[in-house]
Amino acid sequence: MNLEDELRSALRRREPSPDFTDRVLARVSAAPAPHAARPWVRWVAALAASVLLAAGAVEYRHYQGERAKSQVLLAVRIAGGTLHKAQRKVQMLHTAHRSVS
Amino acid sequence: MKTAAFLIAFLAFAGLSAGQQVKWNYDKLAARASETVDVSLDGSLLRLATKFLSDDDADEAKVKKLVAGLKGIYVKSFEFKKEGEYSAADVDAFRAPLHTPDWQRIVGVHSTEDGEDVEVYIKNEGKNIGGLAIIATEPKELTLVNIVGAIDLDTLSELGGHFGIPEVEVEKKK
Repeated sequence: MNLEDELRSALRRREPSPDFTDRVLARVSAAPAPHAARPWVRWVAALAASVLLAAGAVEYRHYQGERAKSQVLLAVRIAGGTLHKAQRKVQMLHTAHRSVS
Repeated sequence: MKTAAFLIAFLAFAGLSAGQQVKWNYDKLAARASETVDVSLDGSLLRLATKFLSDDDADEAKVKKLVAGLKGIYVKSFEFKKEGEYSAADVDAFRAPLHTPDWQRIVGVHSTEDGEDVEVYIKNEGKNIGGLAIIATEPKELTLVNIVGAIDLDTLSELGGHFGIPEVEVEKKK
């Protein structure tokens, strides 16, 4: 037998046995069904995630606000202090000038 | 048509420039400073801060009122380990953006005794004050303040007088 005949024999069409379909269907029905999550679990998970996100956003906003507040107080302290110092010096010079004249 | 376009462009530019902070380049000094204070608050952060300032605390209530209408507060303060870390040219560079018709120097104090200089500039917007700029120098310290918006100078000075800044410093020399 040459190679061509061997290939033809190996690749020749074969009909499945008559009970093939029944066997496949039996195996499919015997396989365990995938475990489906209960719908309420998804809702609870989504709700919990939303609450966590909202709480995080509120906390971050609070942190930003407190930080902005302390920066404003620091800025006013520096700006006001410098301005106040300049005003006092002007007042002092003015007083000194008046007392001389 | 051309006149209308020019007018729109002019008004847009005027609107932008009215609420702008002074363009100061601090990079050179920041590199040499041993300590830096940097406060940069735009309008939205100022509005947020006012929500957190208490009405019950007298000082905080005053600050809240003071900053309520402001568009920005920018403070930079540099401390140096030794004298001579910044030059007169550096200070001139900070003065340069204030040499425009909008800005007017209202106070210039020079102390040869302790080497302190303070210059206060205000931005005129019609009859109102549209902004404030302060350049304060000491041998080992340089402070720049820019407040954008209508600021009440008396309240700011009053708050600065008892808000952690010792006002006896000047009076001691009497």
